[in-house]
Amino acid sequence: MTAEHQAEHDYGTTPGGVVEPPAVVLPERRLFSHRARRLRDLSRRLRSMADFLGFAARLAQAQHQVLQKRTSTFAPDSQAFDLALEHGMPPLSVQSLQDDLDWQEDLDALCDALELNVGQPQQQLIQQLRQLDQEDRRNIAIEVLNAGTGTEGIRAFMPLVAAALQVAWLRQSSALSRPPKRAEGTAQTVCPCCGALPVASLIQVGRERSRVRYMQCSICATEWYMERARCTTCFETGKLDYVGLEGEDGRRPLPVRAETCGDCESYVKIVHLDSEVDADALADDLASLGLDIMIARERDLGRSSYNPWLIAG
Amino acid sequence: MTVNVTRRQFFKLGAAGVASSSMAMMGFAPESAEASVRQFKLTHARETRNNCTYCSVGCGILIYSHGDGSKNVRQEIFHIEGDPDHPVSRGSLCPKGSGLLDFVRSETRLEYPQVRAPGSSEWKRVSWDEALDRIARHIKKDRDANFVERDETGRTVNHWTTSGFLAASGASNEAGYITHKVVRNLGMVAFDNQARV
Repeated sequence: MTAEHQAEHDYGTTPGGVVEPPAVVLPERRLFSHRARRLRDLSRRLRSMADFLGFAARLAQAQHQVLQKRTSTFAPDSQAFDLALEHGMPPLSVQSLQDDLDWQEDLDALCDALELNVGQPQQQLIQQLRQLDQEDRRNIAIEVLNAGTGTEGIRAFMPLVAAALQVAWLRQSSALSRPPKRAEGTAQTVCPCCGALPVASLIQVGRERSRVRYMQCSICATEWYMERARCTTCFETGKLDYVGLEGEDGRRPLPVRAETCGDCESYVKIVHLDSEVDADALADDLASLGLDIMIARERDLGRSSYNPWLIAG
Repeated sequence: MTVNVTRRQFFKLGAAGVASSSMAMMGFAPESAEASVRQFKLTHARETRNNCTYCSVGCGILIYSHGDGSKNVRQEIFHIEGDPDHPVSRGSLCPKGSGLLDFVRSETRLEYPQVRAPGSSEWKRVSWDEALDRIARHIKKDRDANFVERDETGRTVNHWTTSGFLAASGASNEAGYITHKVVRNLGMVAFDNQARV
């Protein structure tokens, strides 16, 4: 039964009944501006991480500006995505997008928007990035899209290149005519739109998605349904532990917990929008870096998600 | 899929990993992350799927408990809510289901079998074996005494009207089928289900 079938009678409206949550939800174009606002808020709350989170806020704001200003020259056949959707393939194939999309121009625009708003070390980084040739920049992009850690020489550039890829990818994913279907089996561990790894998981809010868990793509920001209380990597349920942070007064500093799995020895963060409705998967994952450090002290677990703004060494 | 999911590597983001991370290489102090959580401690919790016991709808619930299951930590349920993934209830619960935590923690909750003998005002705790033996004995005695094979006109009826049976609500279809077969085979006619309560 859906809301459309609600019957009206003398006593008001009958309850809408059970609403099935959507399997895949495409991102909205205002995502970067929300993320920037959230990062600014987090940088004020977590004073010790203010520099890093403040920079991330400016990066997200620059993404928003570039998305608003630029339009891509990439114009696929109007039926190109339909064919992929029809056959259960991710419509935004990484291989073709990294060659076809003009993300390098997004990267230049991003550097322009960012350059004057960041500190000295990051300004130098941006200048170095501008001087790299297209091929070098492309190799960094490939490393990001393969969810790699990069060599020491390129690791500092990866978040900036990733930010440009996010703009270019989200421009496409937010414009798809319809979301892809739910993937099956292990394909559920990657984005149904572009095949990238998730950045974190979200407990969603709203009438159709109340308290339902979604993974959010680290690149194109598409969200896909993932059952709760089940490992998002190996799908086992037996050895899950939910790890969070708590102050002396019982207060939680962030609406974030980690779902750790003893079967595959990995964990993924869960960002609770039901605790703070303006939380953001990427932003709150960055801000809860302290949780990763504390988990690493206690147990030898790896992160199954990939945050391209924080590449592990 | 363009990303090979079998190729997955898990990243470690301990203090050492952060020191050589992109964050440090971009010129930000890696120790700031550690400083941000200095005043906090780690908490452990479990989320367990179950079904509400109240009625035959069998709404899905998520039970939250403290402790990571290690030996010296006392497990304690601190929250119960509707399971948003359950295909029947999709996270919704009725007022009875919403009050399950009070049900679990109720001081008057019955946790073991007790017997109040005829004429006595005292409840006496008994073992499950004793309780089941006693119930079986009473059932057999009553059925032997009151089972009716034929009514006054000589028609075969094979019924037993002096005992009744109230079945559990949290049972599956299969358990319901077996319960029905057992109860009806005994000839019992007064048969109801707690789901109607």
